[in-house]
Amino acid sequence: MLNYTLRRLFTVVPTLLVLIVFSFYLMRLAPGGPFTSEKPLPPSVMANVLERYGMDEPLHVQLWTYIKNIVFHFDFGPSFSQKDRTVNDVIAQGFPVTLTYGFWSAVFVLACGIPLGIIAALRHNSFWDYSMTGLAIFSQIFPNFVLAPIMVLLFTLSWGLLPGGGWNGGQWEYIIMPAVALGTSYMAGVARLTRGSFLEVMNSPFIRTARAKGLPERTIIIRHALKPALLPTLTYMGPVFVYMITGSVFIDVFFSTGGIGQDFIDGAYSRDYSMLLGLAILYSVLTFTLNLLLDLAYAWIDPKVRSKL
Amino acid sequence: MSYKSLLIPALLSGTMLSPAFAADVPADANLAADQTFTYRVMDEFSSFDPQVVEGVVGAEVVRDLFEGLYNQDADGNNVPGVALSHEVSEDNMTYTFTLRDDAKWSDGKPVTAGDFVYAWQRAVEPELASPYAWYMELMSIDNASAIIAGEKPITDLGVSAPDDHTLVVQLSQPLPYFDKMVSHATTFPAPKWAIEEHGSEWTRPENMVSNGAYMLTEHVLKERSVRERNPMYWDTDKTVIDKVVTLNIGDEAQGLTRYRAGEVDKTEIPAGQYPTLKEEFPDEAYALPRLCNYYFTFNVKNGPEAFKDARVRQALSYAVDRSVITDAVLQGGQFPAFTFTPGATADFEVPEVEYSTMTQAERDAKAKELLAEAGYGPDGEKLAFNYLYNTSESHQQVAIVASQMWKQKLGVDVTLENQEWKVFLETRGNQNFDMARGAWCGDYNEASTFLDLLTSPSGYNDGKYSNEKVDALMTEAKSSQDTTPLYAEVEKILADEMPVVPVYHYSTNIMLDSSVQGWPIHNVEQNWYSKDLYKVAE
Repeated sequence: MLNYTLRRLFTVVPTLLVLIVFSFYLMRLAPGGPFTSEKPLPPSVMANVLERYGMDEPLHVQLWTYIKNIVFHFDFGPSFSQKDRTVNDVIAQGFPVTLTYGFWSAVFVLACGIPLGIIAALRHNSFWDYSMTGLAIFSQIFPNFVLAPIMVLLFTLSWGLLPGGGWNGGQWEYIIMPAVALGTSYMAGVARLTRGSFLEVMNSPFIRTARAKGLPERTIIIRHALKPALLPTLTYMGPVFVYMITGSVFIDVFFSTGGIGQDFIDGAYSRDYSMLLGLAILYSVLTFTLNLLLDLAYAWIDPKVRSKL
Repeated sequence: MSYKSLLIPALLSGTMLSPAFAADVPADANLAADQTFTYRVMDEFSSFDPQVVEGVVGAEVVRDLFEGLYNQDADGNNVPGVALSHEVSEDNMTYTFTLRDDAKWSDGKPVTAGDFVYAWQRAVEPELASPYAWYMELMSIDNASAIIAGEKPITDLGVSAPDDHTLVVQLSQPLPYFDKMVSHATTFPAPKWAIEEHGSEWTRPENMVSNGAYMLTEHVLKERSVRERNPMYWDTDKTVIDKVVTLNIGDEAQGLTRYRAGEVDKTEIPAGQYPTLKEEFPDEAYALPRLCNYYFTFNVKNGPEAFKDARVRQALSYAVDRSVITDAVLQGGQFPAFTFTPGATADFEVPEVEYSTMTQAERDAKAKELLAEAGYGPDGEKLAFNYLYNTSESHQQVAIVASQMWKQKLGVDVTLENQEWKVFLETRGNQNFDMARGAWCGDYNEASTFLDLLTSPSGYNDGKYSNEKVDALMTEAKSSQDTTPLYAEVEKILADEMPVVPVYHYSTNIMLDSSVQGWPIHNVEQNWYSKDLYKVAE
């Protein structure tokens, strides 16, 4: 497994390099630049601004400087739109926010989705099963951009229970709505997936054997059925978690959390090249790391996968 | 050199009377126990550095954190800030400001004329590359342009401090409205010692030294900023608001929701919602005039051949029923525009241009006549062109309504084209359009901030209109003591030649909690200072 991990790690460097080069040139194809504004800067002022940010150099020189700064100084450059800040600063402040509510959202998804799925499977074709399936479908058809305003309408405006947005240092009342709004449709997905795989596992020969041995039902469920039944859920949750902490642009903007989703949007509109590139690198490293961890977790759970590594 | 005392009346009254520079609280006001003012901002501030900051919301914060030579009162007039008064030399080229001796930085050091010299030199310094360096050029400070271009050292800038309380500014040309420009953030003083110690990180709350009524105490990027009363501020005894919080709320509708939930005291009203909100909250919804215009610009350089004919441009302008756009489409208290300069601009008397006195029916008839004369319309050549605007719902509504007016009244075919903001700016800046949307907000409260835009050398003149007479009049206005007739003449030329179609003059639509008092609703630049506000118990 160590060999496998090392092999995967070695592929990261060339992948990232290709990504940086590709993104670097692609961004510059978009018309306008970071300093294009309604009141265009006079040429002499523009010349000073370009020089300050090293943008007066040819593109390949800028790219080389950028890569050198990352490799030798772990410096992702200055932000063009927040002039007192570097990209490192902005990510260091925004990423923990997104990560925090992404984490709690994942906890919510698993803590609600798995039990709901198991209950539905155990009470197959009963009122509980139909209610759960109904609830799951209902949640899945509500995208977060519909759910979030409804939640704010109810919990903030009507009942005054939760603040309508903000972060305030990550107090729990500020985390609830972003985490739930982000996770609800995935929670429904997890519940349905767990129900399906649990049903399948409970009908498999090894469970029949366990029952024949006279094991109590609770032991069968927890010790024998749960682990294999959760495999599809785990496969599903890997990419979902990556999406949660990288793609939650709407949540960041709507709830004004100060997370990095907002930076991505602002970076694109303001052509903040270094910010966009920094975020693209962060997202790639995250995607890679989480996928690797997921594969390793999969191997840990499933001996068949382990033997192939 | 002989000087003549030219203390402006507002200043005289400001220094001689016991002035209300800070919150003007009536004796019977029942002040709220919690004097925290919280408001929504859409975007993150570009900077807290006065010489670097850009944009309206950034300037609002910097005005609280720093204090320049003059502040503005509720009507937009200059009142003493760090400077108590100024004198102007006979040739109008030298301004001498007298600074107060009780102004202090938040670390207790005195604010001196040298701090202004340092800041102004910093603003033009090529290494800092301030995006607002052009403002120093606009102020006509001697040698500013050469320093920005790297041709002279910053020490050659026309600003000096003969002593700690005297600041002398040398201009490269007389500028009658110079004193109106020194309440702008770019001209605020800067603490050299803090900047040298912390470099670009000097604006972090833990490093920042400022001389305004407030100090920055917290800043969470894209989430909130907090500024609290500066105990060293010379007028802190008269300041009422203790704490000012900005919350970043990107979505306008969400801003309104959080206003309704009582989380913010002030937010902008989403487009089109002003009439209903005014009905629901008559004491909290405001439409305030703003120093901005909205216009359509003709590309007279390489647009359609027809646009080179002033009669065509006039016809298209006359056919736009501005009141439909302001009263039926936008409904936010905007003002129909027939001149380029907003009527709210200081010392600007709106000249009576001919088409502004006609009824819309008369304008429509005249439009048909002019178009026919130019050889276009039903009996002539078919007129068709593209109208370019940046993607936005309200710009789209205006575009649709205007194009329908042209279609129905003049038989003109207009193709609407929208582009993302920066793409739009580049397309318009490169003259790759026929007609484009334009808007301009004044940098200072004087007509030249608008009219300069339509002079030949202006970098903002996207339609590339050029008229020697306009250029000459605007140059003359720079040194004239009576600009009214000059600006009136320029507006008349613009009405005759119609290089742009003035559509409306802006208003700002805000929700302001009724507990917040002292808001400068008559200041068309909307330059407000938290120190002038106070909250009453509800």
